[in-house]
Amino acid sequence: MTVIEACDWLQNLTFPTLIRESDWLFPTIESVHVLALVLVVGSISMVDLRLLGLANRSRPVAQVMAQALPWTWSAFVVAAVAGSLLFSSKAVTYYADVPFRIKMFCLVLAGINMAYFHRFTHRRLGPSDLGAPPAAAKIAGGISLLLWIVIVGAGRWIGFTT
Amino acid sequence: MISAFCDWLVATSISRTFQEWTWFVPLVQTVHILSISVVLTLVAMTDLKMLGVRVGSQPLSEMVSHSMPWVWTALLLLLTTGILLTITEPARELLNSVFRVKMLMVLALVGALKIIQSGLRDQPDYWSLSPRRRLAGRAVGAASLILGVCIVVAGRWIAYV
Repeated sequence: MTVIEACDWLQNLTFPTLIRESDWLFPTIESVHVLALVLVVGSISMVDLRLLGLANRSRPVAQVMAQALPWTWSAFVVAAVAGSLLFSSKAVTYYADVPFRIKMFCLVLAGINMAYFHRFTHRRLGPSDLGAPPAAAKIAGGISLLLWIVIVGAGRWIGFTT
Repeated sequence: MISAFCDWLVATSISRTFQEWTWFVPLVQTVHILSISVVLTLVAMTDLKMLGVRVGSQPLSEMVSHSMPWVWTALLLLLTTGILLTITEPARELLNSVFRVKMLMVLALVGALKIIQSGLRDQPDYWSLSPRRRLAGRAVGAASLILGVCIVVAGRWIAYV
């Protein structure tokens, strides 16, 4: 089975078909997706801006992370579930869509960037480090911020190409 | 009358220029959504804290005084990008009932945020001084949270009605 065939199989399942044919299901799921993604981007950019030394400088990085990351993770789960449902309704179209592919690629890069940061860079930050963090942390924050901006932009662009 | 205004606006050279740039609307909408993410995240965190949920280790007054400059800046950016989108597609927004409800909710949200902020300006514990204050704080927090969510949902539905 090729990927296209898999997409075709997926979008012809009962629920994806229902989403596609309903007047209100797609916009409703999309609203949930947007609500969740703005919380993902808002909360992760708090951490990114702190790592870059551009916001919350008076608070330790660990404190900002403890406040923001639970929001990032819980909202990400919601955004991913809603996003998967949206994808399933027109899987063949989305799979072939360039902005969609850019978005997925950047999501993977954001994941790798975050995993690297937590595995290596994070331990170099003390629990009560104030002021500007080390260069590696700044780079991680900058990359993350940039990737999430591209993810939002590509996501919006999908609506104009599909 | 609004319809005539839309007809005039959509024919102006500035609107026609924006319409010709196919990248313009998605780009401005992207900035709009990024600004929403700043507002909604900080407002939701503040609201939940006012509702008594534990969000971070900062006291409420500190969270609000740190958040509000970002919120007001982002709201200004939302107004600017919103005006640009309206100039490009006037009828899509101005003749849309969901858009009108959204604008009213935005005004109400701004009012709620002003109330939260002004209480804390002189007294850091303003919203927890008495059981009555606490109740009032919870009401404002809940109202602002519900408004924030409804504004985002309405924003997306403008495209469908």
